[in-house]
Amino acid sequence: MTSRTRLLASAALAAPLMIGLAGTASAQLLFWSNQAAPIEETQAMREQVLSGFDGEVDFQPQETGPFITRIEAELEAGSGSIAVVGALHGELANYADDWVDLSGIDLSGITVAPAFLELGMLGTDEQKYLPWMQANYVMAANVQALEYLPEGYDINALSYDELVNWMRILAEETGSPKFGFPAGPQGLKHRFFQGFLLPSYAGSTVTNFRSEEAVAGWEMFRELWQYTNPASTNYGFLQEPLLAGDVWVGFDHVARLAEAFNQQPENFVAFPAPAGPMGRGFMPVLAGLAIPAHAPDIDASMALVQYMMQPETQVATLLATNFFPVTDAELPGDLPPSAQALGAAITAMTSGDDALPALLPVGLGDLGGQFNQVYIDAFERIILANQDIGQVLEEQANTLRSLMEQANAPCWLPDEPSEGPCPVD
Amino acid sequence: MSTLAPTDEPRAVGDTRRAGRWVFITATVMLMAWVLVPIYLLFVNTLSSPSEVSGFPKTGLPSFDFASVEFFLSFSGVARALWNSVVVAVLTMVLSIGIGAPAGYALSRFDFPGKEVFRMVVVMTRAFPLPLLALPLAVMFIRVGLDDTALGLAFVHTVLALPFAVLITFSLFSGIPIELEEAAWTLGCNRLQAFIKVVMPLILPGLVASAVFAFTISWNEVFAAAVLTIENRTLTAFLVQSLNVSPLHLKFAGGTALVVPALIFIFAVRKYLFAMWGIANR
Repeated sequence: MTSRTRLLASAALAAPLMIGLAGTASAQLLFWSNQAAPIEETQAMREQVLSGFDGEVDFQPQETGPFITRIEAELEAGSGSIAVVGALHGELANYADDWVDLSGIDLSGITVAPAFLELGMLGTDEQKYLPWMQANYVMAANVQALEYLPEGYDINALSYDELVNWMRILAEETGSPKFGFPAGPQGLKHRFFQGFLLPSYAGSTVTNFRSEEAVAGWEMFRELWQYTNPASTNYGFLQEPLLAGDVWVGFDHVARLAEAFNQQPENFVAFPAPAGPMGRGFMPVLAGLAIPAHAPDIDASMALVQYMMQPETQVATLLATNFFPVTDAELPGDLPPSAQALGAAITAMTSGDDALPALLPVGLGDLGGQFNQVYIDAFERIILANQDIGQVLEEQANTLRSLMEQANAPCWLPDEPSEGPCPVD
Repeated sequence: MSTLAPTDEPRAVGDTRRAGRWVFITATVMLMAWVLVPIYLLFVNTLSSPSEVSGFPKTGLPSFDFASVEFFLSFSGVARALWNSVVVAVLTMVLSIGIGAPAGYALSRFDFPGKEVFRMVVVMTRAFPLPLLALPLAVMFIRVGLDDTALGLAFVHTVLALPFAVLITFSLFSGIPIELEEAAWTLGCNRLQAFIKVVMPLILPGLVASAVFAFTISWNEVFAAAVLTIENRTLTAFLVQSLNVSPLHLKFAGGTALVVPALIFIFAVRKYLFAMWGIANR
């Protein structure tokens, strides 16, 4: 090595060391979220939603794993840099003791849906989180599929049996299965069973998990699966197979369908999820904003939460994320096609006579993942492995029961309220 | 195999050699395709419009639509995250060689009690999944003030890269006869001088290879980076999580953004790598 290269090498080695040591100090508010993670939504949140706030906000969306780990680390360390947490109701419910009471935030002139505010109290008498935005799951179809809709069927009031029949005709006439279901690793399949299939058939998510009615629901789904594109086990976001034409009819979260409507608005229609014997089960998704007790500047965090609740911010959030306002914010007339189509489908689904809302799991703490796994396992065993429905449900019901007892979680809608842990019959 | 083929006569040696060449060429082409085809598809899709990416059939040729690329260039923080990634990766490289090479040297040159246990324990650091370690690490980092610094993250990545650094340098040093060092000592070098003047030039290509390895380990690590850094986020932590749930055309563009810097780096150090495999390319 010549002395010159040696000098260069040591300079190259020393420079990053110096930089590595230099911590950065800034007055940015850290907005730690596991929502709006898709990169375009992140961009829109930063540029269109948070840019109007009086102060600098660092919006950092995360996958749930690192998201939770970081929150727990800061709680345990007793100090942290997170200013505001944005997450789903179920995730916020795990840390009820660690959030600041938000009832002091001035919301004059804003009407927040009272049911959502109540959820935000997490069973305490403090406002643990404020509702941030809401979403839902709907069906989407390529307009080509409507040509095969049997006469007399109303797309806005389908039953599951009618859906199966429609998909059968579609598969037979076009020569390949055209239904799509987000059953991939990133897909939200468990929400369909928890919030749509079981409530519609058994009127329950937990208590009647292995009832005869639930068996009937799974039998229907097994039939539907015959007309489902087998690549569904790879789908995470149904907008992609819809746009590619691999799937003509499908079920997914509105934020995961929006791209199809925005790219080709004339090619797609949105409609409510079908109804079963007990009603039209659906699962609203509620995201909330909370402030950790160790936030660096609680007053600044409060100001940010208050900003997020303002009507203009709520509308901007809708445009950025396809999550709808939780307040009475007035929607502008020139909404993008996705918001128009999906919003109409949600309204049709939630305001019908047979509407049967099912809430996201409440009070499960960190057992939420295992709770989801019960439904995913049931799906994989019944539908993918073709095992006996009764036997699978009985075995999964035992797991579910012990989870409920371990979490000591009382029932939530649509199950009947319970004293003590929610029973599994 | 009941009857012998009538033409089953001995073949000329040239035939066999030709067949061998064919096998060699086919294997080479396949290996190259294995590496190059995915990279090619990545680039083609990056330079295609969203509808072409999700559409079918594919042309296989880029249409030079720069919308996805432009989106990335305008996505705030990409440049900063790229810089952080480089800083952390270089720090990891320096630390893991700085700590790993002496350990490898000691393992190959000295006998000390617990040598076998030490070799085992070094590998053990890879036995624990990061999601398990990340929480206590983050708590500790917040308490000691290493949280959200490139150095703190580089420490974690060094732990991940260290087993490879130790084991690779161990075999490198073992390949250098101790007699060479002894000769240098008899000619007036002390231990350090002998190491720098005699051993170092011989193992340099190998050292570079294990440094590249440390670099890629750090470059590709997501979980610890996502938990332990916030403002000094690395590119992988910054992008991978968001890309996971982003539309296909942006996944391709982001994939390219992640691959290109690593490709450039490996290209820059390629002559050391090739030298290790005995191909003179100087």
